[in-house]
Amino acid sequence: MSDHILDLQNVTVQFGGLRAVNDVSIYIDPGEFVGIIGPNGAGKTTIFNLITGSIPPTEGKILFKGQSIAGKRSDQLCHLGISRTFQNIRLFPEMTAYENVALGLHARPQYSLIEAFVRTPAAVRTEEQSSIAVYELLDMVGLKSLALERANSLPYGLQRRLELARAMATSPELLLLDEPAAGMNEDECDDLIRTIRNIHTEMGYAIMLIEHHMNVVMELCEGSRLYVLNLGQILTAGTPQEVQGNPHVIKAYLGEKDESYV
Amino acid sequence: MGYLNTILVLGGIQVIAALGLAILTGYTGLFSMGHSVYMALGGYAAAVLYMELGVPFILALILGALFAGLCSMIIGYPTFRSQLRGDYFAIATLGFAEAVRLVLNNTYKIINGAIGYLGIPKLTSPWLVLIAMLLAFVLAHSFTKSQWGRNCLAVKQDATAAQMMGVNVLKTQMTALFVSAVYCGLAGGLLAFYMAYLTPAMFTVTKSSDLLAAVVFGGMQSLVGPAIAGFVLIALPEILRPLESWRLIMYGSLFVIIMVFRPQGLLGYYELELGRYLAPIRAAYARLGIRRKAKVDAA
Repeated sequence: MSDHILDLQNVTVQFGGLRAVNDVSIYIDPGEFVGIIGPNGAGKTTIFNLITGSIPPTEGKILFKGQSIAGKRSDQLCHLGISRTFQNIRLFPEMTAYENVALGLHARPQYSLIEAFVRTPAAVRTEEQSSIAVYELLDMVGLKSLALERANSLPYGLQRRLELARAMATSPELLLLDEPAAGMNEDECDDLIRTIRNIHTEMGYAIMLIEHHMNVVMELCEGSRLYVLNLGQILTAGTPQEVQGNPHVIKAYLGEKDESYV
Repeated sequence: MGYLNTILVLGGIQVIAALGLAILTGYTGLFSMGHSVYMALGGYAAAVLYMELGVPFILALILGALFAGLCSMIIGYPTFRSQLRGDYFAIATLGFAEAVRLVLNNTYKIINGAIGYLGIPKLTSPWLVLIAMLLAFVLAHSFTKSQWGRNCLAVKQDATAAQMMGVNVLKTQMTALFVSAVYCGLAGGLLAFYMAYLTPAMFTVTKSSDLLAAVVFGGMQSLVGPAIAGFVLIALPEILRPLESWRLIMYGSLFVIIMVFRPQGLLGYYELELGRYLAPIRAAYARLGIRRKAKVDAA
C-alpha cells in the first residue's frame, strides 16, 4: 500500500474520439508541493476535474487517502479533503468576500433547518464563532479589510486571492490550484508566490499547482517535483532543473528546430 | 369595509405565497410556473382534515402546509436528481401543477371535483392573516440569512462551484422547494377558510404566474420586494376594476419593461436591514458601556 495522499493509476479520459488524458499516473504525498505544466490543451484541467469528481475516468483508478473516489460527488470529495480553485475565477459574484469564505467553511449547515428559521440563540452563537475563522482566513490572503465588499466588485487579483481563501475554508488536505497566476503581472506574481508558500508551510496541505508562468512554477516547486503533460500524456517528471533541461519539454513548448530553414 | 377587508386578506395571503416562491426563485434560482398547486394541496388538505377528521383549525392549517411541502418532493426529487434547471424545471413544475389540478377536478369523493368543496367554515380572520404574514416574513428573513440560505444563494450563482466547495446541491434545492411549498400550502389553507369553499379553478396557471410575477417584479434577491409586489398585484386589479381586461395588457407590458430595464426586479438586492437602522443605537450603547467601564476602572 502506498502512503500517497492522492494516487492516479493509469487514468484515461475519452471524450468521444479524443483522448484528453491518456494513461496518466500521478501521485502526491501528504504536505508535498507538486506542479503540473504543459502547453494548452495538454489535459491539465481535465486532471483536476477528475480529482474533484466532476468527470469520471474512462479507465484507471484514482485513490484519495487509499480509498477509491469512484462514484463520489464533488461535495463528498470536498468533505473528504479535496479543494480547488478555478482557472477562470468562479466565486459567488453577488455574495460578499465574507460570505464566499463562510460558505466554504460551513457548506454543511451546522444547525437544523428549524433553527435556521427560528434563529435560536445557539444558531446565532455558532455563526458568531465561525466569523472568527472567516476573518482569520481573509487575513491570510490580505482581504480582511474588504470582507464586506461584493466579490464581483473586487479587482481581478484580489478575486484570485479570495478564491484561495474560499478553497482553504473547506479545510482541505489536498489543494488544487488551477493557474492562480493567470493574468497577473510580475509584481502580483511575486506576491502570489509569497502567499502560496506561506499557505503551504503554515497549513501543511498537499498542493498541486497548474501554472503557465514558468518563474512561478519553478520557484514554488523548488526542491520538489514537477510533471510535464503534453497531448494528454506525461512527457516527463522530475525536479524543476531536470525538467528544464529535458529536450522533449523544450520541443513540446517551443517546437523543433527545422534544419531546412538554416 | 367588507370589501376593503377582503382585499387586505387576499393580499396578505398572496404575500405569504409570494414569500415562499421568493425563497425558491429569488434565492435559489429555480423558476416555478406551477406554485399554485401547493396552495391547492395545502388548502384541500387543511379543509379535509378539519371537515372530515375534526382536526383543530390551526393544526389543520399547519398539517396542510406540511402536506404541500411533502408533495413538492414528488416533483422535486426526480427533477433535481436529473439536474433539470432553468426552463426545464419550470416546464416540469407546470406539468405537475396541471396534473394535480386535473386530479382534483375529477375527484368527486369528499371534495366534489369541479363543483367545489363547499361548506368550509369562515375561520380565517384578518388578524390571523396579519400575524401569519408577519411571522412568515420574519422566519423567511432569518432563513435567508442563515447558513442554509447562503447555500441557496451559492447554488443559484454557480451550482458547480458550490458543489465543489462542499454544498450538497440536491439537498439545498429540495430544501428550498420544500420551504416554498410549505409557505404556499399555508397560504392555501388560509384561503380555503376565508373563501369558505374550494374549487380547482382557483389554482390555475394564472395564479402561479401571478406569484412568479410578484417575485420578478419585486426583486430577485429580496423578500420585501416580492411581498409588496404580491400585495400590489392583488390590490391593483381591484383598484383598476373599471379597466377590466386591459389590466392583462398592462401586466404583460410591465413584465417586458421590467425585464428589459430592471432585470433584477424593482427592489433587486435590496433587503430591509433592521440592523442598519439599529446600528447607530447599538454603537451609542456600546460607547456608554465603555464609558461606564472606564469609570469603574478609574474608581
